[in-house]
Amino acid sequence: MKTAYSEKNSVDNIVKDIKDSFEGSDAKAVMFFASSSFDPQAVGRQMQEAFPEASVFGCTTAGEIVSGKMLKKSVVAMAFGPEVLESVKVVTINDLNANNAVENAMSEFEAFYKEPVMAMDHERYVGIILVDGLSMAEERVMDRIGDLTNVTFIGGSAGDDLQFKTTHVFADGKACTNAAVLALFKPKNGFDIIKTQSFSATDKLLKATEVNEDGREVLQFNGKPAAVAYAEARGVSVEDAAGSFMSNPVGLMIGGEPYVRSPQQIKDGGMVFYCKVKEGMELSVLESTDIVKDTRLAVEAKKLELGGISGISGIINFHCILRTLELEGKGQTEEYGSIFADIPTIGFSTYGEQYIGHVNQTSTMLVFKGSK
Amino acid sequence: MAGKIKQIIDVIISQRSKGNPAVTQALKAKFALKGINPDGYSAASADDQAVIGKLTMLAKDLGVSL
Repeated sequence: MKTAYSEKNSVDNIVKDIKDSFEGSDAKAVMFFASSSFDPQAVGRQMQEAFPEASVFGCTTAGEIVSGKMLKKSVVAMAFGPEVLESVKVVTINDLNANNAVENAMSEFEAFYKEPVMAMDHERYVGIILVDGLSMAEERVMDRIGDLTNVTFIGGSAGDDLQFKTTHVFADGKACTNAAVLALFKPKNGFDIIKTQSFSATDKLLKATEVNEDGREVLQFNGKPAAVAYAEARGVSVEDAAGSFMSNPVGLMIGGEPYVRSPQQIKDGGMVFYCKVKEGMELSVLESTDIVKDTRLAVEAKKLELGGISGISGIINFHCILRTLELEGKGQTEEYGSIFADIPTIGFSTYGEQYIGHVNQTSTMLVFKGSK
Repeated sequence: MAGKIKQIIDVIISQRSKGNPAVTQALKAKFALKGINPDGYSAASADDQAVIGKLTMLAKDLGVSL
């Protein structure tokens, strides 16, 4: 498994750098994450042209990650050769609002693998999802995927370097918006998942008693205007409540682990989130812990579980932009990057992470196991 | 009447997971993200028709016949 990156300032030079790095790799698939500062159509087209025999796919970002480094205004890529990948099928959902969009994507996987997605072995297959990060469609798409198959899909929402204007996903030489790219992998040596978020639950509970689900708004917690209930739980004034959002989001506790829902803003006394909250959900107010320490522990634990560094052949890290902003604020990006220095890794700063559902302020990582 | 909700949840999870613990855990998380906490119901839980209605829809979505 090879990784490459380029910080050159033209698409031509970037694609040449990556092509040169992957020379002779016999890649079945090339996945890449590109800063939105580059012309997306040119990036998509030229990356596919550089690897005509491979399934080439990716998305735009709010920052990139490659083994040992966190980058800006770059393109990072990973080549999957036959030593790690038995097969891969990439499908684009061109219109996230289309009827049966997910069902049609699953049908394409079934036609390729000649097996119903419902019957696919969840230990032999794994899916990657990259989705327009401004579509607000992630929950709907993930929900439907989970209805139709037990195969794990993990991924991230595309970014646009905090411009919040347009994000793109790439496949088949095209750059698309209001779209998602799904890749169904059959890894040769198996895979594992890391989901890590740096929060602990407090004893403060907020039950969503009135929501506008489609708008990702909670109007009331515990029967009070959401902002008032949140501020009370935090022991701050409503005016100061937004100052707690980054370090004190809320989480749906499942098996003792938070599925983080991050507040975005206070609106008319309610709270807008970066993902949906269902009416009746009981959420814990969270307290932030140390991202670098927690991530290092999670990666080290996985290494140990898989028999040491040789047990991992590569990692794809879908890393929330809010985590990146916190690391930048604390001057810890170099330290964070170093966690992955000895593992072929690519990743990006996302506008949301996918694992079972849609989450925030989390890193969801796909770990490719090494050959025994 | 009581216990219907837990019974339906158990049927859905059992049919979809076929006893696989990893799939069971993922399904429980999926239930919670859909707004129904599977660990929040026991054989003594009252048969709330609104929740039973949600579970019936969920079973249909998941391709499970009750």
